[in-house]
Amino acid sequence: MDDAAALQSIQATTRYTSEEMRAWVARRRWALAGIIYTIMIAAAIVFVGPLLFSALSSLKTNPLEYPPGLNIPQLYPSNWIAAARLGRLGGGNPLLGGFKPGARIPFRITYFVPEDVSAELPEVIVPRRRPGAGLGAVMKIDYAADYAHVSPVMEAERAPSAISIDGERVRGEYITYSFTVSYPGEGPPIDRVPVDITSSPGVIYVSSTLTASRIERLGRVASYDNLAPGFFGYVFRNYVRVFKEARSVSTGKSLFFSWTLNSGLYAIARIITNLLFATMAGYALARFNFRGKTFIFMLVLFSQMVPGQVTFISNYLVIRDGIFGLTRLFGVRSLLNSLWGVIIGGAGSSAMIEASKVFIMKQFFESIPREVEEAAMIDGTTQLQRYWRVVFPMARPALGAVTILTFQGAWNDFFWPLVVLTSPEDIKTLPIGLLSFRQTYGAAGDWGLILSGAILSAIPVIIIFFVFQKYFLEGVSFGGSKK
Amino acid sequence: MKKLVKMLTAVLLVTLIALPLFAGGKQEKQTAPASVETASKKEVQIRIMGYGGQDPAVVVRLLDEVIGEGLEKEGIKLSYEPLEGDYNAALFNALSAGTAADIFYIPVETAPGIIATGKVLPLNGLVDTSPFIDSLVEAYTFNGKIYGIAKDFNTLALHYNKDLFDKAGVAYPDENDNWDTLREKIGKLAGIGDNIYGISLPADYARFGAFAFAAGWKPFDEKGNTNLLDPKFKTAVEYYTGMVREGIAVQPSDLGQGWTGGAFATEQVGIAVEGAWILGFLRNEAPNIQYGTTFMPVGPSGERGNFLYTVAYGINTDSPNREAAVKVLEALTSEEAQQFVLEQGLAIPSRKALVDNPFLKKGTPEAEANRVVFEGSRMGFVYGYQFGKVGTDWFRPINSALATIMTGEKDIDTALKQAQSEIEALIERAK
Amino acid sequence: MKVKSRETIAALMFLAPFLIILGIFFVYACVRAVIFSFTDYNLFNTPRWVGLANYTALFREANFLRALRNSILYSIIVTTIQTIGALIIASILNAKLKGLNLFRSAYYMPSIASSVVITLIFLWMYQRRGLFNYLATQLLRYAPIILIFLGFTLVIQTVLVLYERLRGFPAKWFDPALLVTSILLSAAGTFVVSILGLVSLREVPPVDFIWLQTKQQIPSRPEFLAMPIPLIAIMIQNIFTTIPTFMLIFLAALKDVPISYYEAASLDGATAIQKFFHITVPAVQPVLFLVVALGMIGTLQMFDQVAIFGNAVPLESVITLAYFVYNRMFPGAQLPEVGLASAAAIFLALFTLTLVVLQRTIIKSEVK
Repeated sequence: MDDAAALQSIQATTRYTSEEMRAWVARRRWALAGIIYTIMIAAAIVFVGPLLFSALSSLKTNPLEYPPGLNIPQLYPSNWIAAARLGRLGGGNPLLGGFKPGARIPFRITYFVPEDVSAELPEVIVPRRRPGAGLGAVMKIDYAADYAHVSPVMEAERAPSAISIDGERVRGEYITYSFTVSYPGEGPPIDRVPVDITSSPGVIYVSSTLTASRIERLGRVASYDNLAPGFFGYVFRNYVRVFKEARSVSTGKSLFFSWTLNSGLYAIARIITNLLFATMAGYALARFNFRGKTFIFMLVLFSQMVPGQVTFISNYLVIRDGIFGLTRLFGVRSLLNSLWGVIIGGAGSSAMIEASKVFIMKQFFESIPREVEEAAMIDGTTQLQRYWRVVFPMARPALGAVTILTFQGAWNDFFWPLVVLTSPEDIKTLPIGLLSFRQTYGAAGDWGLILSGAILSAIPVIIIFFVFQKYFLEGVSFGGSKK
Repeated sequence: MKKLVKMLTAVLLVTLIALPLFAGGKQEKQTAPASVETASKKEVQIRIMGYGGQDPAVVVRLLDEVIGEGLEKEGIKLSYEPLEGDYNAALFNALSAGTAADIFYIPVETAPGIIATGKVLPLNGLVDTSPFIDSLVEAYTFNGKIYGIAKDFNTLALHYNKDLFDKAGVAYPDENDNWDTLREKIGKLAGIGDNIYGISLPADYARFGAFAFAAGWKPFDEKGNTNLLDPKFKTAVEYYTGMVREGIAVQPSDLGQGWTGGAFATEQVGIAVEGAWILGFLRNEAPNIQYGTTFMPVGPSGERGNFLYTVAYGINTDSPNREAAVKVLEALTSEEAQQFVLEQGLAIPSRKALVDNPFLKKGTPEAEANRVVFEGSRMGFVYGYQFGKVGTDWFRPINSALATIMTGEKDIDTALKQAQSEIEALIERAK
Repeated sequence: MKVKSRETIAALMFLAPFLIILGIFFVYACVRAVIFSFTDYNLFNTPRWVGLANYTALFREANFLRALRNSILYSIIVTTIQTIGALIIASILNAKLKGLNLFRSAYYMPSIASSVVITLIFLWMYQRRGLFNYLATQLLRYAPIILIFLGFTLVIQTVLVLYERLRGFPAKWFDPALLVTSILLSAAGTFVVSILGLVSLREVPPVDFIWLQTKQQIPSRPEFLAMPIPLIAIMIQNIFTTIPTFMLIFLAALKDVPISYYEAASLDGATAIQKFFHITVPAVQPVLFLVVALGMIGTLQMFDQVAIFGNAVPLESVITLAYFVYNRMFPGAQLPEVGLASAAAIFLALFTLTLVVLQRTIIKSEVK
């Protein structure tokens, strides 16, 4: 764009031919483009980086490990293969693993034993343990400890070597031990086989068939959450936990699943009511002349500026009392802790018919020439019929924007559902549910579950965004075209 | 489509018309007709609201295996409704919406607030409170009225990591330790490695208070006022925050943990000051940790200090089946029920008679911890974890003073002076 | 006249559902909030008229004053930075280059995920042993190398520009082609220097900046300007999430500016900065009011982050007006103070409206 200007000024002053000039300017243009692209990529890393990095970290056993590298055992193909193989041996399921009668899981673990340390055979136990202290930890489950048999530990290999510890060279040897965990006799299928391998003080854990979940007791214990995890059970351990571990105490159903379902229903309900009523209201404001029109329009604008904190107090009471007692007609006393309460009420502008969507529709209908509409009118029908048959179908682009924006708003809605939904857990929507995750597991430092839940909950919105990008961007600019 | 629109419009119009009719009815009309009907059929449904988390499993088993059968013969059916997440918030919601159960938990720290709603039935003359530990009954007595029967309780104890003490070559803490000897022992622990600390102490009244009591300080005087400028209080602050300043102690948040139990599970701290609730957590989160439990150290007053954490069952004034509810409450706190809960290793009973229970003397680390926690209720200065009318806001100035002293932002005197003026304002407002 | 009344009936029919909902959940709710704010209602008593007592009580309450200060600082800083940031990115993205749409989508990512998701991720990154402190540590470790690299670039660029000028080309100080050359050359130079061992990484202890559990403030005084560090942490997060939305609005406005404006400016020898202030800024002026208003309304209502950070931070460091209202309505352990909550909510609403009206007047008069 600067070419013309640059060229002129150069030609006025220099001895170079116009071809040389052109090339000089062209070089600058290419370089500038290169720099802009580089800045763009850097900014993209800044904006997408945190999401991507947390997605990768959510695979780790402990996402809080320091330094927070990307050297994640869950990303090693060797561990994938081992996990799938162990899963097949343990539960006949290479994807999700497990522990079934007849299972035989051979396992090897290697230690480095410094010269001055005498190594005894490590002790292998299957502890009575369940993951997580949080939601649903009270469910009765079968423990692998009650059914598993551990074979005597044998020394398999021994090789002299030397490694450096804190910069010092230490001589010693690598010793590999092997053992087998089996499930003799009959019994129920079990989800997981936790194993703890305790070695002598002073030896150093090097490697094992499957990388240890964590090292405890100042290096003495190599602990495995599940010896037969299967591919998904190992790589997406935290994701499987999100669904399996957090369960409703009363029904035993997966909480995360219920939350997703609730969020979905809430979003759909809001989309339908907004599509039906917000469009009608927008049309009326755009097309009809009547007294009070300006007043209503000002109210629409005003309602978007008043914080939800003003209206939620009364709205909470209205919902609590079942909308002035109306819901008692259906035998319901209060709409608190019910999805209906979230859908019908709303902080700020009501969730059911949002003022901002009315506004978008009004802007859109005003942009369509009245003649287009009139030409298509069918005589002898009511205004409402004509609206549904003719006008509504014409509004497709704006309807797309309304749908997408409503979906996003509902899926991410936090404040109002927080007010209405307190208990039980399985009535919550995803954002409120994630807050429970944060409260329950955050205190225990169990970030794996929290991050996985957060990432999972963001996936639907992200997919919808990429599929319907056009409507998203249109929606934002519709909102932006207000003067 | 058209019909649907018309119908919905009609429904909404009805709503609008009905609006003025019902607008006055802010206050809930009580007595749900449904439950009156069932009462007349002699089959009574008693609902119990309590914590989520571990409690549903405990209570449901208690109902099924111990008390359910007897009550069913009398025509009483029981159901447990866990209020998950923030229990207090959920309970207030239910009370204000009129959907609260016949019997509900009353946590000791929020008891004054819950009782102030006027929805808790005084139990004087309805339930015999003499078999229960006196301090527990007192915690629920306001103006001579008893509002709840403690279901179980907890106190604080020192849980120590044996591996760390062994590695440092220091004797385990024991019941003979006082503030100074304890500090000496754990001071050596901090020397054995980077990021190893003697004890984990949060900037939180819920733990610090026990030390202040051991110094002889009382949270409230007769007039209901609080004095943070008391020299005894200052001694405790010096001891408690001093260990953090010197690097002997660490705040759990500095280890990325939300509480000292979490810090203990990282195996980076020698001691955690917690109640028996840490046992279940360790069972899950750090099953291989080698720990022991002993009493709180003796303070400068020559006595130990401790908190009483407890939860009681209370009865809803609006319950349509009061008599049945009282029966259920008695069954829930019966000796039989408490024995069961104790033996499951779930909670510590509130009845005096269970003090000598053989279960507490089994010698396993968990039984030992339970015994220490149980006996803690009778040793030295023990006060309920309660803050009068002010509620949980009361300890905010204290926590905030502790935090600023621990990080070195303010010196002790300045911080305490500020806390004192804030706490006075809070008490003034509540009166 | 008859036509007119028929139209009114039709309009009301179309508007009925919306008006009913708006009536109950907005108009009625606002009226009730005003009424409650003059009573001592606590959900369990019969409300008693107390006049202005709630409003005067507000300004004696330490938490409210903190919330007010936090909200104002938060709103001013976040709105300013995100508006400027969005405008700059939008004006770069407005370049007519291929493939920029792809970037546009990437930038929008933080804005589509819910505040809960983003807050949880940031909370994780703000841990003491989290990503932010790790990156800071790395930055300090690599500081010598980065400085050497920057120094090289500066020297080489100066030499190249002077050389080009000697040759008679009108090279500017930031001439892009030369910049690329000097960056590549100094990268190679830095590599050689570090291979030879002339510079090496610094040994630094891990950065242990406390983002969350702290009451430190920056700057530590004066009190009315002091921002608690946890609040700054939330500011950073909020700027990160809202820049993309506003960038899109700016971008839509910039689309209407003909390229010829920029070309004409170039012919007159305008610099990039001059063009930004004289063409880009006036072009987006109509939406500037909207962006600033939306920014202020959004930031003054900041609630989600405070609720999600929860006990990870000291409440008084991050409490905002919106959270104050919620906290008084649902204090958890005590009786709700509906009156006080309503008074604070009304205050928040009036405050927001005043600011929006004020900034509209200011932006209008500034540009004209």
